[in-house]
Amino acid sequence: MTKLAASNLSVQTHDSRLLDKASIMVQSGELVVLLGPNGAGKTTLLRVMTGLLKPTSGAVSLDGQPLSDLTPMQRARKIAYLPQSRPLAWPSRVIDVVTLGRFSHGSSIGNLSQDDQAAVDVAIEACDLKALRQRRCDTLSGGELARVHCARAFATNAPLLIADEPVAALDPKHQFRIMDLIKHYVSKGGGALVVLHDIRLAATYADRLVWMKDGSITADGPAGTTLTVKQMAETFGVNARIDGTNIMIDGSID
Amino acid sequence: MLVQHLTKGLVIASLLTLITACLLGSTPLGPDRVILALFGAGAPGDAVVIWQIRLPRALAAYVVGAALGLSGAALQGLLRNPLAEPGVLGVTASAALGATFVLYYGLVSLSAWVLPIAAISGALLATTIIAIAAIRVQSVITLILIGVGLSSFSAAMMSLLMNLAPNPFALSDILNWMLGSVANRSFNDLYFAAPFLAAGCGILLATRNGLSALTLGEEAASGIGLDLRRQRIFVIIGTGLLTGAAVSIAGAIGFIGIIVPHIVRPLLRHDPAMSLLPSALLAGIALVLADILVRTIPTASELKLGVVMALIGAPLFVWIAMRGQARND
Repeated sequence: MTKLAASNLSVQTHDSRLLDKASIMVQSGELVVLLGPNGAGKTTLLRVMTGLLKPTSGAVSLDGQPLSDLTPMQRARKIAYLPQSRPLAWPSRVIDVVTLGRFSHGSSIGNLSQDDQAAVDVAIEACDLKALRQRRCDTLSGGELARVHCARAFATNAPLLIADEPVAALDPKHQFRIMDLIKHYVSKGGGALVVLHDIRLAATYADRLVWMKDGSITADGPAGTTLTVKQMAETFGVNARIDGTNIMIDGSID
Repeated sequence: MLVQHLTKGLVIASLLTLITACLLGSTPLGPDRVILALFGAGAPGDAVVIWQIRLPRALAAYVVGAALGLSGAALQGLLRNPLAEPGVLGVTASAALGATFVLYYGLVSLSAWVLPIAAISGALLATTIIAIAAIRVQSVITLILIGVGLSSFSAAMMSLLMNLAPNPFALSDILNWMLGSVANRSFNDLYFAAPFLAAGCGILLATRNGLSALTLGEEAASGIGLDLRRQRIFVIIGTGLLTGAAVSIAGAIGFIGIIVPHIVRPLLRHDPAMSLLPSALLAGIALVLADILVRTIPTASELKLGVVMALIGAPLFVWIAMRGQARND
C-alpha cells in the first residue's frame, strides 16, 4: 500500500500564485482524475507531487515520509511520471524507450538485469507493442507513441503513476485504450493520478474526481457526488446537462 | 553486444592508424626501420624521427580528435541536438582566447601548467554560459547563435590582444591558435594536458547513462530519476576540461565533434550513452588521418589541420542542419 499525500501546497512565482493551499491524496488501488480549465494549476500540482518542483509552502509525503527526503532515483522508483510534452530527442527504438523506464533501477540500454528485462517485457506485452519492439519511434503513429510512453512508465513497476493529459490529441479509440491500460494498472494494485480534459472519459474511469480552479481544489469525490451542473459551471464556465456519466455541454456561460 | 564489437574494432583501427602515421613522412622510412625505432633499436636518426616528430604528432592529433569527438557526443546528448559541438557553440574559440591571453602576456613562462589551465578556463566559461542559456531557452538555434557570439567575441579579443600586448608575437602564431595545428608537438605538450584529458574523459563516461535518460526530454528524464542539475554540471565540466585541454595542444579545431557522432549514432541505435566511447575513438582516427593528409599533400606551406577539418566539416554541418534533424523543441 502506497500513499502520496499533499497538504496545503502553494506555489508562488514573482507575479502570480500558481497553487493556493491545495491538498490532495492518491493511494494504491484508486484512479484519481484531476479536472480543471487551462491554467488552473493542474500541471504545477503534478510537478510538485512528483518532486520536480519545490512548493513555496506546504508538503508532500510519501507513506508518511517527506518526498523531499528521497533521492531522485528513490522517488522515481515509487512514482512513475508521464509529462504532458513528451519530445523524443532521437529516433530511438521502441524497446530502448521502454527500457529507459528502468533507469531508476540502475539499468541502461544494453545492460539489463533479469528483473529489468522481465519488467520491460511485461510492459511491452501489456501495451500491445510486441510487434513494434524494434520499430523506430519516429515512424509510429500518435496512438502507438502514446502506448510506448505508457509502457515506459509501467516498466518502472512503480506503485504510483502520475500522468499529465495522457490521451491528449488521440482519437477516441486510442483514448479508451490508454485509459484501459491505466485502469488495468490500477486493478493490479497501482495508484494513478491523471489529468484529463474529457469529462465523460473522466467520469467513466475515475474512482474519484478532483476539481481545480485558479490554483485551488474546489471539490474532491466520486463522480456521483461531485459531477454536477453547478460544479461544471463554476469550474469550466459551461452550461452542462448531466445524466449519470452522460454529459452534454451546451455552451459557455455568458 | 554491438557497442563492444564496434569499440574493439575501433581500438584496433586506432593502433593501425597511429602506426601508419609513423610510416609516412618527408623522410622515407621503411616499415622495418620504423618498427626497430619504435622499440628503441635501429639508427639514432630514425629514433629521433619517430619519437620526437612523428609519434608525438600522431598522438597529439589522436587525443585532440578523441577529446573533441567525446565532447561533441556529450554536448549533443545534453542539448538533445545533433548540431551541438564545442566549435559551433564557441567553446573552442573561448579556449583559444584563454591560451592566446597567457601567451601574449608571457604568463606561460611561469609554469608549463599555465597554458592548459588558461585554455580550460576559457572553455569552462563558454560551456557554463551555454548551459545556463540552455536552461532558459529550449531552442538550439538560439544556443548556436550564442556560440556564434562567443566565437566572434573571442576572435575580436584575440585581435585586440595582438594590438595591445606588451610583447606581441607574430601574426602566424595567432593564426595557429585560431586555425588549429598539431605540427611540431612534443610529448611534453601531451604530458601537461594529460591529467585534464583523463579527468574530463572519466567524468563524461561515468555519467553517460544520464544522456540516455535525456532522450525523453528534460521533464520525463527528471521523472525517471535523473538529477538534471548534476548531469548538466558534469557535462559542462567534462567537456570544458576536454575541449580546453585539446585546444591547449592543437588550437581551435572545429566540426570533428559533429561529423563523427553523426556517423556513430545510427550504428548504435541513436543511444547517446553508447555513442560516447566509439565517437571518441573514431574522432581520434579521423583527425590522425586528416593530419596525414595535411602532411603528405604537396603544398608550398603546410595546410592547417583545422582548415582541412572545416573544409570537410562545415558543408556537412550545413547538410545536417538542412535535413532538419535539429529536432529539439
